Amino acid sequence: MSAVWLLVPLYMVPLVSHNEVLLTILIFTYILGILAIGFNIVFGYAGQLTMFHGAAFGIGGYATFLILTKLGISFWLAMLPMFVVILLLSMIVGWVCFKFRLREFYFAVVTLAFAELIRLVVLNWNDVTNGTLGLLVLDKPTIWWPGRGVVKIDGTVPWYLLTLTALGAVTIVSQLIVRSWIGRNFAAIRLNEELAQTLGINTFRYKMLAFTISNLFAALAGALFGFYSNYIEPAQLSITQSLDAIAMVLLGGMGSILGPVVGAFLLTGLPHIIEFSAELRAATYGAILILVILLMPRGVVGLFSRWRHVS
Amino acid sequence: MFLKVEELSKRFGGLVAVSAVSLDIEEGEIVGILGPNGSGKTTLLNLLAGLLAPSSGTILWQGRDISGTKPDLIAALGIVKTFQNPQLFAELSVLEHVMIAGHLALKRLLGFARSKTIFAPKPARQELEARAERVLRLCRLSEEAHRPAAALSYGEEKMLGVAMAMMCEPKLLLLDEPASGLGQAEIVNLGAVLRDLREHGTTLCVIDHKVAFLAEFAHRLIALQNGSKIADGTAQEVLGNQSVITAYLGRQHAGA
Repeated sequence: MSAVWLLVPLYMVPLVSHNEVLLTILIFTYILGILAIGFNIVFGYAGQLTMFHGAAFGIGGYATFLILTKLGISFWLAMLPMFVVILLLSMIVGWVCFKFRLREFYFAVVTLAFAELIRLVVLNWNDVTNGTLGLLVLDKPTIWWPGRGVVKIDGTVPWYLLTLTALGAVTIVSQLIVRSWIGRNFAAIRLNEELAQTLGINTFRYKMLAFTISNLFAALAGALFGFYSNYIEPAQLSITQSLDAIAMVLLGGMGSILGPVVGAFLLTGLPHIIEFSAELRAATYGAILILVILLMPRGVVGLFSRWRHVS
Repeated sequence: MFLKVEELSKRFGGLVAVSAVSLDIEEGEIVGILGPNGSGKTTLLNLLAGLLAPSSGTILWQGRDISGTKPDLIAALGIVKTFQNPQLFAELSVLEHVMIAGHLALKRLLGFARSKTIFAPKPARQELEARAERVLRLCRLSEEAHRPAAALSYGEEKMLGVAMAMMCEPKLLLLDEPASGLGQAEIVNLGAVLRDLREHGTTLCVIDHKVAFLAEFAHRLIALQNGSKIADGTAQEVLGNQSVITAYLGRQHAGA
């Protein structure tokens, strides 16, 4: 459980600093870290280059909010049917892709096509999704607090604690999965799918599992994102959302549990740290990303683990 | 009936790689398959292991028709094949390879209860590691357990293939040219491993070019030529068979 302990000191941050910008950067880091951890499971561990996690992220926000308002239930209860929706979508998309044995770029292109299809439905289904204008989210998750009863989670510090806890839970779940036989089977599929099959591993089933886990994590992240930022729009389902998570995983380090979170922190924080004009900032950001991917194929975390290995 | 193959054929476009081959394998038997290059030996084993779907014919495994079944299910049913060119999970260690191959063993051991091992992985891992170490010892790879598989010699890579297959606890082990590309010492080693396997009661079906090597420990030989079976019997019968001599041995004797 080593990785999750690294997160524990982060609970102290609000005690030390009340800097709103820092805490907000960290909240987005934790939310996008969950998305990136999910992508890392399906790509970093199981080797399947999905482009669907962006769509799952967006649907997570939309579905949770729509179910919440239509049924008048709480955020937490609304997440359950939302997860069912994601589960079904993952089964359908995964079944089509893996039955037809799509690999690498073919898999990426077909999952991207499904993601775009869903984005276009959301964009044009005005009655329900309000189209390009998006939806204003005024509800907040609630929590029962000793002595104060049911309270809304509102404001920076409560959200900081909520998203950090969610990240911790996701970290624990992924670590348990990765360290079990499931993780071994994911590695087998990534490294030599034909050999994995002759050794009795049902590669179809395990690819479906990795894909579904990734989408469930993405949807959780999407729901938190929508309710934290009070706003849900079709852009949250876009290819950019998928690509951002991929960049985080590549930057932080593929195939390590917390690498994606480090990547999420750098990519969320960097644009704020680099105080250039907007155009220059975007270019610098892109250049840093390119350099890191070229010079550190195992990401920032890989760099550190190599040091530790050598010394 | 252990394994019964009836009129099995495989066509690739106009090429008939395996043509109406029928054969039986009894439990505990060691069957050697020989034949010149392109005679359909590997295709036959790939059909048995489910890596290829037959064009026609049936494969009855313990009374069940498994023709066209996917390889992972066939492996789960007890037929496991090694590859002629060693197939590896590049960056992993030798032990990790064998642990991955322990997937079926864990499944048989715990069934659905293995989901509990997600929360408490230690006992299951230890059990699997103990089995992996036994298999590695049997395959003379114990000392290499923690080396990356990429650092092994060609012969060791092939033995790792056998070790992974054995970790699947096969009832029938299909070995595709286990001796090809091996040095003399490694062949002696392989022979010892195969004899160990025979003593464990594993049924073996072995392809090889080295007729003497096959004849030494196989109970029965089957000869293929151009995808058809031309002889089936004891080593003496098959090696004395006139069509086998002309098709395969004759040429080799002439070259020697």
